[in-house]
Amino acid sequence: MVYKIKNVDEAFISDNSVRTNYKKYYNWFNNQNFSNLTKKNSEAFKFFKDTGITFKVYSDNNDDEYLIPFDIVPRIINRREWEKIVKGITQRVIAINLFLNDIYSNQEIINSGIIPISLLKNNSAFFPEMMGLTPPNKIYNHISGIDLIKTEKNDFYVLEDNVRVPSGVSYMIENRDTMMKLFPDLFSKYAVTDNRDYPNKLSKILKNCSPLNRKKEPNIAVLTPGVHNSAFFEHAFLADQLGAELVEGKDLRVLDKFLKMKTIRGWEKIDILYRRVDDEYLDPLTFKEDSFLGVPGLMEVYRNKNITIANAPGTGIADDKAIYSYIPEIINFYLGEKAILKNVKTFKCNDQNELKYVLDNIHALVVKEVHGSGGYGMLIGPLSSKSEILEFKNKILKNPNNYIAQPTLSLSTCPIFTKKGLSPRHVDLRPFALLSNKGVSVTNGGLTRVALKKDSLVVNSSQGGGTKDTWVLGA
Amino acid sequence: MLGSTADSLFWMFRYIERAENTLCLIESGFQLHLISSKNLKNEWDAILKTSSIRQFFTKNNSQLDSLKIINFMFKDQINSNNIYELISKARENARRSRVAMTLEVWESVNTCWLFLKEQLKKNVTENRVQSLIKDTREKIALIYGYLNKTMLKDEILNFCYLGTYIERFNNTARILNTRQYLLIEERLYGLEYYNNFQLEMILRSISSYRSFMWKNQNTINSKKVSNFLISDKDMPRSLMFSIQETIQCIKLILNKNIYKNACYKTAQNIHRKIQSRKMFSNNYLFLNDLIDLNMKLATEIEEEFNFH
Repeated sequence: MVYKIKNVDEAFISDNSVRTNYKKYYNWFNNQNFSNLTKKNSEAFKFFKDTGITFKVYSDNNDDEYLIPFDIVPRIINRREWEKIVKGITQRVIAINLFLNDIYSNQEIINSGIIPISLLKNNSAFFPEMMGLTPPNKIYNHISGIDLIKTEKNDFYVLEDNVRVPSGVSYMIENRDTMMKLFPDLFSKYAVTDNRDYPNKLSKILKNCSPLNRKKEPNIAVLTPGVHNSAFFEHAFLADQLGAELVEGKDLRVLDKFLKMKTIRGWEKIDILYRRVDDEYLDPLTFKEDSFLGVPGLMEVYRNKNITIANAPGTGIADDKAIYSYIPEIINFYLGEKAILKNVKTFKCNDQNELKYVLDNIHALVVKEVHGSGGYGMLIGPLSSKSEILEFKNKILKNPNNYIAQPTLSLSTCPIFTKKGLSPRHVDLRPFALLSNKGVSVTNGGLTRVALKKDSLVVNSSQGGGTKDTWVLGA
Repeated sequence: MLGSTADSLFWMFRYIERAENTLCLIESGFQLHLISSKNLKNEWDAILKTSSIRQFFTKNNSQLDSLKIINFMFKDQINSNNIYELISKARENARRSRVAMTLEVWESVNTCWLFLKEQLKKNVTENRVQSLIKDTREKIALIYGYLNKTMLKDEILNFCYLGTYIERFNNTARILNTRQYLLIEERLYGLEYYNNFQLEMILRSISSYRSFMWKNQNTINSKKVSNFLISDKDMPRSLMFSIQETIQCIKLILNKNIYKNACYKTAQNIHRKIQSRKMFSNNYLFLNDLIDLNMKLATEIEEEFNFH
């Protein structure tokens, strides 16, 4: 027996027979010398350490960097299953863009009574400043990271649509690089589709939305909150891969109606800003007054169509957890289609009936803050103590608008490598999608996050999660 | 290139150079320690003065104990110029300017830092001093190796070199300045007042003893040593060599309107002063003047290239 299967395991069926996509891997694994694999495991650790692929945890007082643990067992997804995911993500990303174009202009979806206006009015992620402003090529969400989970029915569900500043793509690429270095023989056995062309594609879709004349090569810059940001490694990685400057607020200024950066030869214009700074910090004149991360006057440059900002300001409203529950309706409204990927059932605490249900069944639910992320500000009912539940109930009652709840799903497991051999752990998946007026491009695979603690459901790197290389098999 | 990126590269290489110079100083002191020289205390004193850390060390230590000094220079937090701290700062600057360098350069800085972090968890013992110096030096050499082999020969590289040579100039000038009496007294007494051994220590503190002897057919005297360190065009640690390289970098980065440029003028001024130096002039004033001018040059570089 390999290991005991509780829910759905992606490598083994309950009688412990191996699923087709893992057969070759499992054979290979069984032929490996265990101590050799342990050695490879520490080699992977050293590789990440030397490359400096680190992140920082905000709540920590010290300045230490941490490595995101990496597991050497790949997650393998077959072609057929993947094609459905690609179709589903493509549909979602297009619908979200249409939704954003609509709510910042005619608001037909509101006028048709499909989404209540209160959802926008009381929402800090909705920017009235963006009303009537059309971004270049009408693209809001150039980059999306769609979080998927697999449940007991062996079906992928969407857990979240990340369209603010989704991160993790650098880990996806570095994970692949690492696996190719460690196990070249595996790659020659499997036809694994490549996922490392992402930076080139990103470069293309960004240039595609340039505010300049087509013939002119635009200046691209990546805006980072700085070296102390938890995702700084990724910002530097992407800027490097894009051949772009990595800029901070202090390098920038608005001069003569353009955004400019301070170079060794004076001020130079930026045409496309791939910002990894949240909306509300972009421009202290328009949003948070005390922000040093952005540039005073940037929104004025944007209004004058002198810059492309990716993702467009105001996009964040679409990954609000309250809006999330309406995505199937949004898809239907703009595309006249049924959502290909299912949503997780979501209870909105601003609805009296649903609130009652949530409070009555809280021990069985996951409750989340509407604007929360990174696994913070949430309650996992089945794993919480009575006093924690009571405390959270009070929080919800104080501000029901701020919470949604979802049933605890039995996430699928994938095998990870441990001292005792293979062992199942819960996983999720974040594929990245790039949108331009020429269509949607979805990465082959994405970032698999894995809860390394046994039976844990929390996959966030800030809370003990790790990552895996994700293989989408070729035709 | 962003001004702030140039700033990070410049300082990254100033810190790396400073760390390397500190290694040389430790090595020369340790050599004396091994042979229990009667000059040991004077030598450590000179080394601490050269690094401008004497007052910090003597605050908590009444004796100039070799191993205490070595640990102080490697890792003591009171000393902000300890080797670990210098390499940490270099790495922090490399992180900030990560986009400007190749993966190999970044990784070599990062692994150098990781190495020291691990090695300096415990105090450096007598038995470890030499291997630690050697290993650290190799890690640093790897950074330069990758810098030269993998980077484009463009302005980015020139900012790295600028940091290196401005720092090196400062270091060599300070070593000379701390020991300037060696070079003055020769004039007063008209004879070799200081023994060859002390001159050898000066050369060792910049890892140039062998190259000096090779070039001077094994004859060592004060005049030759000061000439070697100040005006030798081929010696990579001489003031002349450092300023020549600095001028070259400035020229390459500026590309045009060179002659009216403040940095270029100051660098040329330093070059001229070294060239026209008279033997037996007042070395103390001469060196102080050069150290000040070099500092002025560093500030002008920061201003000219919009570091802040």
